[in-house]
Amino acid sequence: MNEEYIFCCVLKTEIMRWQQIANFLQQNNLNIDTDIEQFIVAFDEQQQLVACGGIAGRVLKCIAIEPHLRGQGLALRLLTTLLNQAFSLHRYELFIYTKPENEAMFTECGFHLLATVNGQVILLENSATRLKRYCQRLAQQRQDGRRIGGIVMNANPFTLGHRYLVQQACKECDWVHLFVVQENASEFPYEDRLDLIKAGVADLKNLTIHPGSDYLISRATFPSYFLKNQKIINHCHMALDLQLFRHDIAPALGINRRYVGTEPMCEVTAQYNREMAYWLTTAEVRAPQIELHEIERRQQAAQPISACRVRDLLAKKGPEAVKALVPESTYRYLWQHYAMSQPLVSSLAG
Amino acid sequence: MKIIQQSHAGTLESGDVLIRIQPIDSHQVEIELESVVEKQFGDAIRRLIHDTLHKLSIEGVRVIVEDKGALDCVIRARVQAALIRATGTQLLDLNWGAL
Repeated sequence: MNEEYIFCCVLKTEIMRWQQIANFLQQNNLNIDTDIEQFIVAFDEQQQLVACGGIAGRVLKCIAIEPHLRGQGLALRLLTTLLNQAFSLHRYELFIYTKPENEAMFTECGFHLLATVNGQVILLENSATRLKRYCQRLAQQRQDGRRIGGIVMNANPFTLGHRYLVQQACKECDWVHLFVVQENASEFPYEDRLDLIKAGVADLKNLTIHPGSDYLISRATFPSYFLKNQKIINHCHMALDLQLFRHDIAPALGINRRYVGTEPMCEVTAQYNREMAYWLTTAEVRAPQIELHEIERRQQAAQPISACRVRDLLAKKGPEAVKALVPESTYRYLWQHYAMSQPLVSSLAG
Repeated sequence: MKIIQQSHAGTLESGDVLIRIQPIDSHQVEIELESVVEKQFGDAIRRLIHDTLHKLSIEGVRVIVEDKGALDCVIRARVQAALIRATGTQLLDLNWGAL
């Protein structure tokens, strides 16, 4: 019990040590997520790696302890050190995704359960009240009405397709709440996407735009290190995200409808819509049901307008090629954004 | 005194307490306590923290406490350490006597 353990921090640049950690995780049936920036590791008196925990932004991942050392308080020491490290990076609001069997260990360290996917993954944050407080702030923007719609949008960039979806929702509902996904893994940075959305819907009166939050679960930071394959990862991501939406976000605003565009082309997104219908109505989640409304995508030249199509054309042929697909505000932005990067590209080429 | 940044002090080990301090908009003092001895000493711990903050004229904070059975002196010390980290040396200069 009085074993001396040395804790130290390992950066991604320390290749040998990083490999040692990867091996240790493998032995514990875990992979190593690529977005981890640094690890806290513990060595025993024989210089063996006995525990590790990774930091990826504000998500703690890849936490593992040598099986025969579990139940000795080593977990608490590892977590304390890991938390201290995250705090020293000024990251105080932290999340953990882990296997359900680890719930007790993290609850002991001040983490609280937010959502569960049975037998697969649980999501926790280090506060008993943060989600509640976020929802209380949202509730201050509640609007009256029988039909309150919700839309979650990335808009990378905002197109006439997005515009059409929001327009339809605003027509059919008394009020619409639009949430913008915050991940900066998109080609266009969050602040710009938000500006373009605001500009593109400025004339719609019964609409509130909500900036992104930690509670719209980012696909970019979603862990994959303990989930078997991409299908399961997608399923889990969706399940957690939709549980939070249905259980916490929607009730705060009285949202009873969720609007999405139909997906004729991409199978993954089509699957997403189907799963969404399940999670918004299943009795598994103890919250009011939400109707899923799928709006047919607006077309241009007999093809659906999507951000993907716009990015593609933009890369191959420049802003003029997408003029018919985006609102004026987005078009102007693309010219600035694209024109600015043009000189750089030609100077690199020449 | 105004707290301007988040700070923390302590550990999760048995007999210790992990204190996190966050500035908040109001003039209140909010305490979120998780303790292994909540039933026996929960209220006493809350009172102690309020007391410590009051003596140092601190308001407008949220104190998040993860207690693993720490004694009063330990709780007081950790809270003070976190406060000093949150305010810089201001606190030491003005209130050394109250610590």
